[in-house]
Amino acid sequence: MTTKRITRDALLTAIALTIFMVEAQLPALAPVPGMKLGLANIVTVWALFTLGPLDALMILLGRILLGAVFAGQLMALIYSLAGGLLCFLVTLLLRRVLTARQIFIAGIFGAMAHNTGQLIAATLVLKSLAVWYYCPLLLLSGIVTGAFTGLAAQYLHARLAKSGSS
Amino acid sequence: MKTKHFLAVIALIALACLGALIVLRLRSAGVIANIYQDGTCIRSVDLSKVAAPETFTVTDKNGHENVVSVEPGRICVARANCPDQVCVHEGWVSGGTRPIVCLPAKLVIRLEDKSAAPGADAPDAVVG
Amino acid sequence: MKRVLALITLWALLLTGCGGAAAPSSDTQPGSADEPATRTVFAMDTFMDLRVWSDQGEKALDDAEATITTLDAALSVTNEESEIYALNHASGAPVLLSDDTFTLLSGALALSERFGPALELTVYPVLRAWGFTTSEYHVPTDAELAALLPQVDDSAVTLDAAAKTARLPPGAEIDLGAVAKGYAADLCAAALKARGVPAALLGMGSSTIRTIGAKPDGTPWRVAVQAPFEEGYAGVLSLGEAAVNTSGGYERFFEENGEIYWHILDPETGHPAKSGLLSATVVTEDALTGDALSTALFVKGLEDSVALWREKRDFEFVLIGDDGTLYVSEGLKDAFAPYGSWEDAPLEVIAYED
Repeated sequence: MTTKRITRDALLTAIALTIFMVEAQLPALAPVPGMKLGLANIVTVWALFTLGPLDALMILLGRILLGAVFAGQLMALIYSLAGGLLCFLVTLLLRRVLTARQIFIAGIFGAMAHNTGQLIAATLVLKSLAVWYYCPLLLLSGIVTGAFTGLAAQYLHARLAKSGSS
Repeated sequence: MKTKHFLAVIALIALACLGALIVLRLRSAGVIANIYQDGTCIRSVDLSKVAAPETFTVTDKNGHENVVSVEPGRICVARANCPDQVCVHEGWVSGGTRPIVCLPAKLVIRLEDKSAAPGADAPDAVVG
Repeated sequence: MKRVLALITLWALLLTGCGGAAAPSSDTQPGSADEPATRTVFAMDTFMDLRVWSDQGEKALDDAEATITTLDAALSVTNEESEIYALNHASGAPVLLSDDTFTLLSGALALSERFGPALELTVYPVLRAWGFTTSEYHVPTDAELAALLPQVDDSAVTLDAAAKTARLPPGAEIDLGAVAKGYAADLCAAALKARGVPAALLGMGSSTIRTIGAKPDGTPWRVAVQAPFEEGYAGVLSLGEAAVNTSGGYERFFEENGEIYWHILDPETGHPAKSGLLSATVVTEDALTGDALSTALFVKGLEDSVALWREKRDFEFVLIGDDGTLYVSEGLKDAFAPYGSWEDAPLEVIAYED
């Protein structure tokens, strides 16, 4: 791993973490736990499409672990990991079939996968299926927020590709 | 794959979710939980209109605290600082004649089924 | 800010306001025959739910509530002002009792004599040793129980009918909790009838129900029997004017080392009564007898309960065995219908003749 790569990934992790921490300060969209914009995912999606799976995964894990440390909530780590990894997996699979103009679709499915992963984690942690009441609401919100973050990642990808930097 | 194919799948999922939301609400149609403190109704929650699980705390002047949890179609006392914990042991309640009662806090949660036709087979009282 | 926004959203989502039929009795039409006047009373360590169909509803409820509060004040074992407290702390001296308390005490002692040794009102010190009086539960040692059991003897309570006094041996303590709600129901029923109330449903806590008259719509009163240790009902009784009482281990219990200990004690052993029953429900004319009987049957178990029933046939019962079998006395054969999942439970009708 080159120094350039380490530095670049570290920078991206810092950016993702900053977005994550800023978003955490925003008021909740709705009284549904797990429902949020997920702006930090812009970085993950972009990295996955531009840099490849390994770099994207390291940025994602770095952001999740540091985010949990800074937020001081170990419980949140379980939810973040479950959601983040499932989201990553789905986005990774979609990357094989999606073009640069379809990145927003990866954002949508990624967001739905993220929310599903959190529900699975909540089911295991709370030992209750009741949390699945949230499922329709969370998937719907995932479509909306995922389209937003996915589009953001898509434009970022297009702009940075045009300017020639990566 | 074309973008429109993906969009069709997303639209299908969205429709299914909307349908599920509506069914979830209809399934528990018209059950209202009335929360009484020492005989006075302090709050009413239409359990069929609960969009998302929620928790709130009922306190009284003697320092009793009952944490009430509401989910679509059901209600329970999740935590309480009373010594006997009878209200907590009652667990989730989604219907029926038997109220949740916390004696120390003089708190009563009664369910009222507005959708049930009069003369339906709901009993007048529960013994035990 | 986050909290405030969330709260406002919730407020809009959850609140529907305390609506008409949901509102407390003062907002309803207590005068009409279809809409009962209702009252909740917190007394006798329980929650009472009184419903009266009468144009005298509110006044009748005032009478009933006053009756309950007075009786509660006289019978409380913890209130230092109460008559029972005075009796328990008189160190063997006779104590003057009010008319109601004396009537209840003598009635209860007669029942305890009839149902003994399954019913002993003087079991209170043992109940306290288990922590059931304070909810600070623990299993007492054999030595503790052995020291307390000699004081459990209702026949040692002496009454002087002429002087309206009662006397306990020093160290003994009595608790009328097992019969107080039944007696309160009977007193309330009398008070309501004196007001000319044609129909009422008195829920004296969860284990005592007293119906008065016929339901205004002409259908029988439907009193559900709680399913033990689970949500829902085991069955529903269709009744006219009657008293229904249930005693069940599930009402108050604690677990220690995987063992369940409940609040109904066998006065002979001082341990929770494990007679093979999970609950005992009795239908009687008067609630005092019913209240005492349900406890006695729960302690006696199936066989002895049936024998007691065949002696006089002055009550009917629904017993639930710990294998989930429903035992229904012949007199309730048509009135009792199993409910929900209990429709598949084994049901045995106990005949008058063996």
